[in-house]
Amino acid sequence: MLKRRLTSFACAALLPAIALAQQAHPDLSGVWSYAIDRAPAALKKDVNGVVTIQKIDQSARHGDATSVAGALPSTPRPSYKPEHLAKVKDLFDHESKVDPVFYCGRPGVPRIGSPRKIVQLLNETIFFYEDISGDPYRIIPTDGRAHRANANPSHYGDSVGRWEGRVFVVDARNFVDDTWFGEDGYFHSPEMRVIERLWMVGENLVWQATVEDPVVLTAPWVMPPRLIRPSKESLEESPKCVETDGHKLLNDDHHLQR
Amino acid sequence: MRQRISVWAVAFLLLSPASLVWAHHSPSAIFDMSTRISVTGTLTKIDWINPHIVLAMDAKGDGGTIEHWTFESNPPSWYRSVGLARADFAKAIGQTITVEGVRARDRTPFGYMQKIVLPDGTSLELINSADPK
Repeated sequence: MLKRRLTSFACAALLPAIALAQQAHPDLSGVWSYAIDRAPAALKKDVNGVVTIQKIDQSARHGDATSVAGALPSTPRPSYKPEHLAKVKDLFDHESKVDPVFYCGRPGVPRIGSPRKIVQLLNETIFFYEDISGDPYRIIPTDGRAHRANANPSHYGDSVGRWEGRVFVVDARNFVDDTWFGEDGYFHSPEMRVIERLWMVGENLVWQATVEDPVVLTAPWVMPPRLIRPSKESLEESPKCVETDGHKLLNDDHHLQR
Repeated sequence: MRQRISVWAVAFLLLSPASLVWAHHSPSAIFDMSTRISVTGTLTKIDWINPHIVLAMDAKGDGGTIEHWTFESNPPSWYRSVGLARADFAKAIGQTITVEGVRARDRTPFGYMQKIVLPDGTSLELINSADPK
């Protein structure tokens, strides 16, 4: 009986502490709109003469260089060291034919954009994504642990998270070097580190990433922030990706995606 | 049956951003954006895959022979966002449909679908959307 009472007392004492911990930071949990470039078209549907227009939310299609409360000063493009400019130009000139993303490759971080769904727990936060290459997730510890010492390099890296006031900061590193961090031939080295900052502005989520790569960049690149609306569109398993267009490309015209 | 679309449609396309065809690759690197075509035939298959959904159809060519056409279009997630699923197309398999779009520059029977008219007369068309950004 005494043991049961003590257990009940302990639980009662802990519950407010857990609740307080959960409330100490803004809750980023939820489903969020796509923050990548999508087909810029609407659907016109005509059924028996009744015409409807269905648009998709493209509000977070591009970075927002204007005033977003709390955003870091950003620049539209990274600054590469002089010895790497020729490679960037070559990749840029032939991006339609050599960009890994356009052959079902994984975009990696930060190119995949902000998460479509966030589940914020006490000691970890989970990011879920939808992408044509598959549907990755990232489990981001927030209990103060360090990066894993024995993690293998990966497309989405090894992440740890922390709170800086009302901003959730994700530090990701240990990437493979076969991704681009932007469509214009932005290659990187295995030393790349990506810092993502997420916070709320009203009901919207802000996502802003900084790319650090002292091997190829002259300075960290702070990307323009994206202001992302909540979404009512639930996540769904992405169908397999089968690229069949590559051999049909007859020139080097650029694509217009993220 | 394959035919070219009228001058207004061509003008519309020329005035529209090429990005009406979603740029997984640059559309102008594959498709002749200056001419919109129309193909009427039997829908034989619909593949709900990334990076583009793919429709296959059989249509009579100019000489009466059967041409096997393939049209790709926007990705599955885009169609999901506008409220369409594979079943909305698959119900027309084996029936006559009309597809409008742009044809591959290599002149193969391959194109990008911008409009489809289903057997019940329902038409679904990709149009430019007002992009606030």
